[in-house]
Amino acid sequence: MTSSDAGRVEAVLADSTDLRVWDLPVRILHWLLAIGIGVCWWTGLNNELEYHLWSGYAILWIVLMRLYWGLVGSSTARFVNFVRGPKAILDYASTLHRRDTPHAHGHNALGAISIILMLGLVLAVVVLGLFAVDVDGLYSGPLSLYVTFKQGRHIAHLHYYWFTVLLWVIALHLAAVTFYFLYKRQNLIGPMIHGKRKVDAVEAIDADMKIAPLWRFVIGAVIVTAIVYAVSVAFYF
Amino acid sequence: MSALGIRCLAAAVCVAFGFAALEAAAGPAEVAQIKPRQDKLRDMGGALKAINDEIKKGRIDWDNTVIPNAQTIKDRSGYLLNWFPKGSGPESGKKTYALPAIWQKNDEFQKLGKAVQAEADKLNQIALKKDESGLKAQAVATGKACKACHDDYRSPDYEKENEDE
Repeated sequence: MTSSDAGRVEAVLADSTDLRVWDLPVRILHWLLAIGIGVCWWTGLNNELEYHLWSGYAILWIVLMRLYWGLVGSSTARFVNFVRGPKAILDYASTLHRRDTPHAHGHNALGAISIILMLGLVLAVVVLGLFAVDVDGLYSGPLSLYVTFKQGRHIAHLHYYWFTVLLWVIALHLAAVTFYFLYKRQNLIGPMIHGKRKVDAVEAIDADMKIAPLWRFVIGAVIVTAIVYAVSVAFYF
Repeated sequence: MSALGIRCLAAAVCVAFGFAALEAAAGPAEVAQIKPRQDKLRDMGGALKAINDEIKKGRIDWDNTVIPNAQTIKDRSGYLLNWFPKGSGPESGKKTYALPAIWQKNDEFQKLGKAVQAEADKLNQIALKKDESGLKAQAVATGKACKACHDDYRSPDYEKENEDE
């Protein structure tokens, strides 16, 4: 390597900078959700319903917080900033096979569909779980007192069915992350851990994340905790 | 063919049909247990749910809900072990969550069935005494006695379609 080459490398390096892409709440909620779904899956399969109830409440809290953060959170967390119309989605999908396309900052148009799908399915499965009745009539969902035993048992079966659908969408999500890593050479896992992404200086100009203040998260946490508590006691205070 | 041969053949055919008829007669009686068994167990689950619902509400209606439902569980549990004759498992070809283990490890199964009767008996007594804190503990104990059997002798819910359950 000649000295002029080395200089060029240095210049390129100097032009690249770390850009924040996911704020702390988004990252924490993401990994808590991943762990929570794992715990729910295991406790559900092994009929450990006492713990399944607790992990279910945790997931309800996480998903409600994520929905709230999608309204008032940092710019990349907000639904208005990443949910696109069909044209943008098709445009993005048509360049999926190319490796030279720019890295989307935040969710890309196609990934947004899977985010909405996963959040929707998680919420649907949790809500079904709230009304589900176990075969013993012992550890039923907190809202099951509003349905009969037979209805609750039917809901329990819907709860399994939609969870299976959710697992397939999660599999698709993992496949997509792997595809970006291997084919597009874009590491999506790192930014979800440390929150930053290396970009060149040109790109950095128009795309920094607007961070939402943490007190907003705290307010949401208080409200959501109250809602989850009210649900857990079936609104009987 | 000689007359004797024909008679022998006729006798053999009769015996064969006889056995077939016996087998057919033995089958339906056991298979016929499946549906009413499911209905009765569902009533018991529903009864325990009704008691647990009262506990959740924190306003326990003893006379209209807890006492009659505890009575249902106690009465039904007394007959519980009669509902599982050999031949009423999955080999019947009917849709049932009952696992072959019920008949393979029948001693263990009988023990769990008797445990349910004991817990149901206690639940009934507590209901009659209208003892609220006792009810909370005994509803869990009774449910766990149901669960002990369901965990090992019943197919998990997710393994089967839910048609008429």
